[in-house]
Amino acid sequence: MKNEKFKTLKVLSALCILHFAFLICAKAQETPPPPSAPKVVNIPAVKEKTLPNGLKVAVVERKNVPLVTVRLLIKSGASSEEMEKAGLANMTASLLTKGTKTRTATQIAEQIEFLGGSINAGAGWNDSFVTVNVMSDKLDAAMTIMSDVVLNPTFKQQEIDLLKSQSLDNLAYNLKQPGFLANYVSSAYSFKEHPVGGTTAALNSIKQQDIIDFHKNNFSPARAVLIFTGDITEAKANLLAQKYFGKWKSPAKTILGSGDSSNFPPKSPVGTKNSEQNLSKIRRILVVDLPNSGQAAVKYLKGLEAGRVNYNGGKVGVNPVYYPSIVMNSVLGGGYSSRLNQEIRIKRGLSYGAGSAFSWRVENSNFATSTQTKNESAAEVAELVLDEVKKLADKSVSASELNPRKLVLTGDFGRDLETTQGLAAALADLYSFELPVAELNSYMKSVQGVSDAQIREFAKQNLAGGDIIIVGDAKVFMDDLKKRFPNMKIEIVKAADLDLSKLN
Amino acid sequence: MRKFPAFLSMLVFAFVFSQSVFGQAKITPLNIKQRALPNGLKVVSLQDASSPTVSVHVWYNVGGKNDPQGRSGFAHLFEHMMFKSTKNMKSEMMDRLTEDVGGYNNASTWDDFTNYYEVIPSNYLETLLWAESDRMANLNVDDANFKSERDVVKEEYRQSVLAQPYGRFFEYISSLSYQTHPYKRGVIGNLDELNAATPQDANDFYKLFYRPDNAYLIVAGNFEQAQLDAWTDKYFGRLARPSGAIPRVTTVEPDRAQEKRQLTTAPNVPFPAVAITYLAPNSKSADIPALKIAETILSNGESSRLYQALVYKQQIAQEAVFSADVRVDKGLLYFYAIASEGKKPEELEKSLLAELKKIQTSPVAANELAKAKNQLITRTLQERETNDGKALAIERAVAYQGDPNAVNTDIQKLQAVTVADVQRVMKKYFTDKNRVVIYYRQEGK
Repeated sequence: MKNEKFKTLKVLSALCILHFAFLICAKAQETPPPPSAPKVVNIPAVKEKTLPNGLKVAVVERKNVPLVTVRLLIKSGASSEEMEKAGLANMTASLLTKGTKTRTATQIAEQIEFLGGSINAGAGWNDSFVTVNVMSDKLDAAMTIMSDVVLNPTFKQQEIDLLKSQSLDNLAYNLKQPGFLANYVSSAYSFKEHPVGGTTAALNSIKQQDIIDFHKNNFSPARAVLIFTGDITEAKANLLAQKYFGKWKSPAKTILGSGDSSNFPPKSPVGTKNSEQNLSKIRRILVVDLPNSGQAAVKYLKGLEAGRVNYNGGKVGVNPVYYPSIVMNSVLGGGYSSRLNQEIRIKRGLSYGAGSAFSWRVENSNFATSTQTKNESAAEVAELVLDEVKKLADKSVSASELNPRKLVLTGDFGRDLETTQGLAAALADLYSFELPVAELNSYMKSVQGVSDAQIREFAKQNLAGGDIIIVGDAKVFMDDLKKRFPNMKIEIVKAADLDLSKLN
Repeated sequence: MRKFPAFLSMLVFAFVFSQSVFGQAKITPLNIKQRALPNGLKVVSLQDASSPTVSVHVWYNVGGKNDPQGRSGFAHLFEHMMFKSTKNMKSEMMDRLTEDVGGYNNASTWDDFTNYYEVIPSNYLETLLWAESDRMANLNVDDANFKSERDVVKEEYRQSVLAQPYGRFFEYISSLSYQTHPYKRGVIGNLDELNAATPQDANDFYKLFYRPDNAYLIVAGNFEQAQLDAWTDKYFGRLARPSGAIPRVTTVEPDRAQEKRQLTTAPNVPFPAVAITYLAPNSKSADIPALKIAETILSNGESSRLYQALVYKQQIAQEAVFSADVRVDKGLLYFYAIASEGKKPEELEKSLLAELKKIQTSPVAANELAKAKNQLITRTLQERETNDGKALAIERAVAYQGDPNAVNTDIQKLQAVTVADVQRVMKKYFTDKNRVVIYYRQEGK
């Protein structure tokens, strides 16, 4: 479907971008009224304090709605578990709310929900968390429950068994969805990691002692940050922190010393080396056959050596390539009008949506594009995705395209901070990398300062040499795929026989 | 919905967006201002200077139930066309005016209405009022755009229905629960009827439903009242009020005469599922608040009755839900559960009905009622953290009560619900003959 009509549309679209505020299009009879003077975005102040036991407390006051979010960040996640125990961090965190020395799982749920609130616990790759969101006049009661689940979990066998069977059922359900399955496979195939939610074999192998050990080794005040956002004062937050977490002691032995950022958090495995990259080629193609799948999921994936953090003379800071990379991603696949969505959805109607994202680790990162299309067009979409990734390294991004894509990022950022939960998550993100919270204030300026040259350089250095993964009804698209990628080795596995530990 | 992998008619989302809310704790009423223009456009505004943004919503009284005959899914397909060109705007210019300046836009089609909305830095308010008025009156539907966008909607259908193990299940809940009402067709439609749609259909549909006297403009956020009123007059006041009548759905879904049971199948279904549906009263019924409280008691959170019984104690389901899916005409009250490994749909049905019987025959505990009210207040407060959330709440008041003030009065009605009210409504609507039971499992098994 690459025809002249689409090229014409693209040119028109670029013109409109250039002149959006005072648009003069050929047939237009009216132009939109221009904006008035902008109002200032307020970035809230973060007040920090460290309790005697080493627990850091961070508070952001916001009074417009009588709600508070409390988020406890633990700076250990799935990166601290082995592939054979994939899912251990997430199970450990999830089990916190399933029973303490004085409360059963049902009592925990009843008591927090009686307050109208909720409590959630889980783990990501870099961190684990427990969050509470509740009306501000019920915060004290909610914190009683929150501290109990963090300090006194019992990890009863019957709760482990139930969570395990729930996780396995959930996995079986998700593995029937092409999009989930593609992400699941990519963790091992492209990034040499494992799925945070676990694999069937790993979940089955996790024992009570594994959970107790993971908890003992990772949950300690010195590795935690307690974040309050919303309708609460700094003084009250510190009082509650001391009252409910002041007696929390670090276990006698932890796997890592406190506050030592040189070996913390644990270094993640690193993807393909830059030197191995071939700028003109992808590395390989993997097809996962899911017969009768309603669509095919198509991804391009690349493990990067660029991490979120940079160590400069022992000082932790944001990696200088971080901001160029997120602006680049905004151009390529962040938001509705990004290039991938333009090419795949808007111009060709091949998908409901297409995008891309980085998953950051301390010293490396994972880059992935995502889209779903009818099985018939899977190979065509794979080509389109590759074209767009390559284009970033080959051609500069014009100012008329770049500036709006920066505003997409800063606009999203401002809106994320509007809710107490979004604000707490943004802070937790920084703390999980040991980055200073001043990054919140400099974010907009850092994004604005990215140049087209930086983006192109980043793309050249990092994006080539990745993998394509397609999950769908293989019989429908295999012939087309072979035709479009005649010199590539295409590996095929059946979804039903999938074993992540055997993917290389 | 235009951008996200969900169109909001999907029953699974009904709970999240349920129209109710409230409790004992005080919620500050939203101080809304209302106006009506001579051309019939109604305007609701709500000032809030806590962020430098403003949310603009245009709500149209047209939804999936208004799809033309043989064109299921059309109202939603048409929603996508509203982002294409107008007399004064190129295709996708709404994105230039929102996304490109740090805002965003979207739209969603429901059974009963369609909304278009954007959140923008507040200094762009006039620009967006101009743009919304332009697409209310000056849309162009061209062939190429229509075909391309129809392909996008077909992919949306594949993604949300065909590529999800339980996508077809939720479509069956609508299609098998209604006998005559157009709600039975669902909002997303089907591939054949989407393929049959033409640009002419779009032009006809636009003329019938997209007019100032069939719309509400809702603005929430950082603006000056006098300036908003002046801009509204300037850009919307000049639109003509068409003379023809707006077609309305008059079909009344008949009461059910006897229990109906149906077995359905699909590919890639890992575990069987069961739905049990009952016809609900319409959204203005005085029984709705008590049904919303029952929904919360049965199904909100891990302490809820269905989670505790089917998921936690019996361990026969990985998910067990009750939803009061309230609509302008008779909606649906439905239970559904997805089995755990090795469990049978018969067990799910039996347990769901046992929980129903329990709430019908014994009064709910006073602390369960208080808990439900607290949960609903918290949810209301969460929604009110953003301008967009407040505008959405006003929209639901308009859609389901026909009155923006319901955004404040609905809360009082929920607050007044008693233990006896809950028991009464659970007996009234959940009768054997008002029941449809749907089994769903892997095909060929």
